[in-house]
Amino acid sequence: MKIKVLQHDLVAHLPQRPGDPTPMSRNLNPLMHPFAKARERTRALNAAKMDRMFSKPFIDSLEGHVDAVEVMAKQPGSLTTVASGSWDGGVIVHHLARRSQLLHIPQAHAGKVSGVCFSRQGRLFSCGVDRTVKSWNPDDSQTENPQPVAVFSGKSAFNSIDHHNSDPTFATASNLVQIWDETKSLPVSNLTFPTSTETINSVRFNLSETSVLASIGSDRTFTLYDIRTGKAERRVVMQMSSNSLSWSPTFPTTVLLASEDHNLYTFDIRRFDAPTQIYKGHVAAVMSCDWAPTGLEFVSGGWDRTVRIWKEGRGHSPEVYHTKRMHRVSSTLFTSDARFVLSGSDDGNVRIWKANASERLGIVTTRERAAIEYRDSLKQRWKSDGEVGRVIRSRHVPRPVHQAAKLKRTMLEAQRVKEERRRKHTRAGESKPKAERKKLVVVEQA
Amino acid sequence: MDAPQQKKRKTSHNLTAESVVQRSSLPRSLRFDKDLNVPAYNHIPNKKLRAQLSRNATQSARAKALLDDAEMLLTEEPGLMQPENDLERTWRVDQTDIEHGAGQDAGRGRREWKLDGGPYRSRYTRNGRHLAIVGSMGHVATFDWKTGTLHSELQLQETCRDITFLHDHSHFAVAQKKYVFIYDRDGVELHCLKAHVEPTRMEFLPYHWLLATIGNAGYLKYQDTSTGQLLTEHRTKLGASSAMAQNLHNAVINLGHQNGCVTLWTPNLPHPAVQLLAHLGPVTSISVDPSTGGRYMATAGRDSTVKVWDCRNWKGAIREWSARGGAAEVEWSARGALAVASGGSVNVYTSPTIQQPIHGSTQPPLYLTHPIPHRPLVSVRFAPFEDPNFDSSEADPFENRKARREKEVKALLDKIQPDMITIDPDFVGSLVEPSKLSITTTSSDGKAAETIPFARLPRLERLRAQGKADEMEVDTDDAAPDAQKLTKEEKERKKMRGKGKSSKRHLRKQLKKVIEPTSIAIRAKVEKQREERKAREKEAAGEKPKKRSALDRFASG
Repeated sequence: MKIKVLQHDLVAHLPQRPGDPTPMSRNLNPLMHPFAKARERTRALNAAKMDRMFSKPFIDSLEGHVDAVEVMAKQPGSLTTVASGSWDGGVIVHHLARRSQLLHIPQAHAGKVSGVCFSRQGRLFSCGVDRTVKSWNPDDSQTENPQPVAVFSGKSAFNSIDHHNSDPTFATASNLVQIWDETKSLPVSNLTFPTSTETINSVRFNLSETSVLASIGSDRTFTLYDIRTGKAERRVVMQMSSNSLSWSPTFPTTVLLASEDHNLYTFDIRRFDAPTQIYKGHVAAVMSCDWAPTGLEFVSGGWDRTVRIWKEGRGHSPEVYHTKRMHRVSSTLFTSDARFVLSGSDDGNVRIWKANASERLGIVTTRERAAIEYRDSLKQRWKSDGEVGRVIRSRHVPRPVHQAAKLKRTMLEAQRVKEERRRKHTRAGESKPKAERKKLVVVEQA
Repeated sequence: MDAPQQKKRKTSHNLTAESVVQRSSLPRSLRFDKDLNVPAYNHIPNKKLRAQLSRNATQSARAKALLDDAEMLLTEEPGLMQPENDLERTWRVDQTDIEHGAGQDAGRGRREWKLDGGPYRSRYTRNGRHLAIVGSMGHVATFDWKTGTLHSELQLQETCRDITFLHDHSHFAVAQKKYVFIYDRDGVELHCLKAHVEPTRMEFLPYHWLLATIGNAGYLKYQDTSTGQLLTEHRTKLGASSAMAQNLHNAVINLGHQNGCVTLWTPNLPHPAVQLLAHLGPVTSISVDPSTGGRYMATAGRDSTVKVWDCRNWKGAIREWSARGGAAEVEWSARGALAVASGGSVNVYTSPTIQQPIHGSTQPPLYLTHPIPHRPLVSVRFAPFEDPNFDSSEADPFENRKARREKEVKALLDKIQPDMITIDPDFVGSLVEPSKLSITTTSSDGKAAETIPFARLPRLERLRAQGKADEMEVDTDDAAPDAQKLTKEEKERKKMRGKGKSSKRHLRKQLKKVIEPTSIAIRAKVEKQREERKAREKEAAGEKPKKRSALDRFASG
């Protein structure tokens, strides 16, 4: 008779020396792991709850402006330098890490500062409704009353300014788009669409095709220019006007528009008949938008006093940030490391938020990092489970925003029902439903 | 054993590639994903979805392949006795032979204690390291049976009927004369659970942290040991019970009753999930097979039979035989061996034969028998992890104090909610059936069907989908002829109240107003059928159809 007996070898299962870790032994037979799925789901639910528990996105608010913050710009190549301009005519250059002011110009312009931008060389440009563009040296922080390095005067109030990526030229927007040379006091060229009588709200250079320029106007248009030909190339008229635009840093043909109709739109500039994606979530006009440097996310700020962070290509349920004291958000910015988000609002503060609400700042140990990654993948895997998904999706918003969203939903539903009824009672085939994406563009002009 | 190992080696992948794959990315030609047999999702036009699906499929296929490899890492082979020629029988081997044949270390595992104080019941911890025994006269002891370290020893001086460890050896519960008491490792009384009156049997569900008890009054009670709350109590209505077992794989409690019934219970059902008449007399013992995922159940009754049941199909036992010596105790080991203690011996039957259905009541081939000169035998338990390889993340016989503490916290975090206990534990993570409330329509010209979600249906359709639409009212024409025959009192009694309600009026109007091609077609069809029926009735009544005259050609239709 052959008699075999399983023996657990003590040498293999106990630590060799005191202080050694106890050896692990695994048996992957599923019968050895009863309720593996149910336990994993519990873990996923706990992970989702922990994520909500740790979500404390607000970091700090930077004070200094007397009136509402209108514009912000980050310095290219720097993680910490950000300039903001305000309705009181002041411009402040902030240092984000130290949360201090590098430069404070109390009266940069008479009236509102409508645009700020940095050049590649680190020079700060600001424009205002006082019909001047001023360039500043952000390093002369010692002087009590800093003076502009250069002043460029135009014929009408400026609404926006953007600097070329490499050349010493910048573009301004007033009732037309003007290209300026840093060394010349008069504009180099005027760009305008032939039939345009609009006011240009914002102008931005493309980040990789650097001579392409886009602008949005108050007559609901989006216009593309090329500074090499000196002409407006194409123009699109939409249902409602846009408040802000931002070029994608990774996809040169993608542009993001923040529209007055509560939505954001991404366009592929090779096809203007419909946006590639509609981002729905704000309950009032979207005032500003900015891409993350990764091109995977962007931030938007709205008239509804919320800042929202969107994933590229996901048109719903963004991350929502709000505080009791934050007013209408008129400018938002993603920092260059894609970890933080800035918002400038009507209460005169620039606020710093985490881009990922529950991220832990500071040093994270390897074990902690592993645990975080495990929790993330659990959430990803179980997000379609009812309870886990609800915890992941739920966001608390202020009561007015909640009510506005409810009202908006009701109105849209009523509209849809009405349209459906109308269609039902007209002759068959007479009126066809129109895709949501096809509704936006009114006309495309070349 | 050699043949399967060779086979495994054949299936394993390129070892060189595997050794570097952890640290670097391999060229596509060397990647072993190729031979994983992952389905190509070429038919899916959405690129992102396609990539996601194929990534998931690759991942799970790779996990499966790695699982095959991981089996090779189980160094410790299962123990067994193999006859070397046809004349040898495993059941002829007795314990002293095994002790000699197994070697010194394994032989030391066999213990025997002779104690006074009535029949004893015993229970191991989940990791098999510690043993708790309770005598019916009140002697309780818990100890590490391998090293012989005694944790606690109590003389409770009253009748004790059962004992069980809670999540690990740091707490144990004793079913005493009147109540259930919980003691800590050192034997200090922590809790007296007064809700559990005259308990007879107890089971602890480790993943749900529930202590289930059954008493003489026939109430099955669940106590949550993490929060201390009494979760539910079910009235079995079947009197006292002295047989209780849990199914390790779905946490269902199996109870055996005095009238021969076996019932299966979950906390969220007020009635048994399954009830069957198993024996002609009281059920004395139940055990569920852990080696097949709880697929088989063994019961023993006072009618001195042992039965094996298939839990997927309750129509009759798949195997039954009579145990000599009256009421038996049954217990299933982790590797699927069934021990039956009856009369003066413990008989062990092995796995494939006891689960094979057989006609008649012959005893399955015996694997091992062990006569014990003390009676009655009331409790038989297998020590966990003496045979299969253990997994340290589940239960570790060699864990130290720190690991035990950590495991306690982790187990608390992973505690499964009690309402997730069902007969089928696989429902977690499975797909929900699609809602029946949406409606699929086909357009009249035979175009593709479209599914309208419930939220987008018109009001009448919504009511209809919910079964709330009052369809009776619309057919006023059909109801009319009956109404004429009713007397006044009947009319008064059957008067349709609430007919003129605004919502009803709205629905009626709504139904008439909408003109759809499908409804026109249906109406035409109904009309045609009615005409045909009328014609048939006339024919039956004896009216012959008129002869066609020459002028009929001018009549329309």
